[in-house]
Amino acid sequence: LNLIQIIIDSLIRASILCTLGIGLTTVYDILKFANFAHVELAVAAAYIGFFFNVTLGWNIFISAIIAIILTGLMGIVFDQTIFKRLRSVNPVITMIASFGLAIALRNGFRAIWGPRPKTFAIGLQKPILFLGARITMVQILLLGITVASIIILHLFLHRTKLGKSLRATSDNPNLAQARGISTETTIKWTWFIAGALAGLAGILYGLETQIEPDMGFALIIPVFCATILGGLGNPYGAMLGALALGLAENFGIYFNFGQIINLGGLLHLIGPLWIPTAYKSTIAFSILIIILLARPRGILGRKIRKE
Amino acid sequence: VEGLVRFLTHLAILTEIYGILALTLNFQFGLTGLANFGHVVFFMLGAYTSTILLLVAHCSFPVALLGAIIVSGIFGFLISIPTSHLKSDYWAISTLAFAEIVRKVFYNENWIVGGGYYRGGAYGIAGIPAPLDHYFSSGMYPFFYLAVTSFFLLAIYLLLEKLTQSPFGRALKGIREEEVLSEALGKDVAVFKMKAMSISGALAGVAGSLYASYMGFVGPDQFMPLVTFVVWAMIVVGGTGSNRGALLGALVIQVFYSSTRYLKDYIPIGADRLASIRMVIIGVLIILTILFMREGLVEEKKKHYKL
Repeated sequence: LNLIQIIIDSLIRASILCTLGIGLTTVYDILKFANFAHVELAVAAAYIGFFFNVTLGWNIFISAIIAIILTGLMGIVFDQTIFKRLRSVNPVITMIASFGLAIALRNGFRAIWGPRPKTFAIGLQKPILFLGARITMVQILLLGITVASIIILHLFLHRTKLGKSLRATSDNPNLAQARGISTETTIKWTWFIAGALAGLAGILYGLETQIEPDMGFALIIPVFCATILGGLGNPYGAMLGALALGLAENFGIYFNFGQIINLGGLLHLIGPLWIPTAYKSTIAFSILIIILLARPRGILGRKIRKE
Repeated sequence: VEGLVRFLTHLAILTEIYGILALTLNFQFGLTGLANFGHVVFFMLGAYTSTILLLVAHCSFPVALLGAIIVSGIFGFLISIPTSHLKSDYWAISTLAFAEIVRKVFYNENWIVGGGYYRGGAYGIAGIPAPLDHYFSSGMYPFFYLAVTSFFLLAIYLLLEKLTQSPFGRALKGIREEEVLSEALGKDVAVFKMKAMSISGALAGVAGSLYASYMGFVGPDQFMPLVTFVVWAMIVVGGTGSNRGALLGALVIQVFYSSTRYLKDYIPIGADRLASIRMVIIGVLIILTILFMREGLVEEKKKHYKL
């Protein structure tokens, strides 16, 4: 058991979940529906990046930037073609439409690029030793970019006119509109930022592991879990939720639950009890259900706003 | 001709099994407004319970079927305890998580019980007996099985029609339309949702049991979240809120799904790619139905009262 290694693994996981969660939660905040197609934008970015980087042989950074801008634009296109027409209907209907979009995209990727995993042309990553833990350059880059983008997002939301109008619209769309903020323009920007951040997450995840058509689906529940942990609609909550979930997933399998039942060695009721590694992915699902049991609106969930 | 008859019988049996799933999902969403994104869990529990009872406990088919109904009904009740007070989007995500947890359990567990034998796990279980098959020649048996599935489909259809028109069904519709108002009128919304989930869960278990004995094999790959999605396509296209719509939707989607499988003999596309394209089309079909024909093929009958 290497503590530093587990923390590094947790932070890497948290970075991906956080970058995805911020976009999911801001779209929810403004449009009030759970977008199941959000994670597919990350997969789209990974495959677009793959196309430029491997198929055309371009530089990875240029490919990544193109992919991120394109997925941001994809967000706007999906909104204009599908979700804009559903602004006034029950959010459940919009959610089902996003579910349909997610399936169409996921199978579209599979039809075009096939089921086999792909990798970016960055060569084999040689890990460097850091306090007894192993970390690759890609992983350091991933952590750095995530922290940088969180800071940029924070400055954007609080220092720029556009960011302020975004927050105003999320807080009270009618009042914001009365003050001359165009709601539709703000919504477009929200989609672009959400899509671009998802794209960034997809590229980073693809660099760190592999690109597969189903990688988005594997992320849906953890991302929702992280954002619900922090309260849907709250970007800072999503960051905290991602961190908490990343730690829980990686520490969970090293944790001896037998010690709790034996009251830390006082009793000898049962032997060591671990979560089997095969069930690692169910940790997020279980946490999600437990949170919803205790706090139906998430831990940092906002109070219900009176209309 | 013989091949065509065999194919049509096979198609009819599958359509009827999926028809049961569509009817029960419609009872949850169309009637009560519960967006269950993990409906496949009842199908899976029904199939596995029935299989384990048949192969491990050597029960007869009626007992196995009854066991499937009880287990999936209880599960419907259990998942509605923590989730009955949740908002629709949180509900959708937690049902998706529940279904994946159960699938992971069936995927990972393969133990051997007492005298009987259960080896499931990733490879699934083969050799599931079909009811009364030694009374029929192998050519005639599908027709008998079609009669069995038709009987159950009809029984479930009539039962759900009756429930829809009963005061209980009206209370569920009331919850769908105005949850707060129903509560103000003295309806215990959580209890009604639990009842709706238990009933539709139990009935969806029938579909699982029928499916397991028809296919002769169950495995975790048959119960991917994709199945839930196909059933959603059926009720959205058929028209939510209408039992006849759910059946028509099941027919349309199943015919499309099964018949396009044979296209690979005529157009030069690999089977895997064809399967993906098929799902893309189903996803797009859902979005188009929601955008341009929200009521689906069959509109729900709504009484309009004049004041």
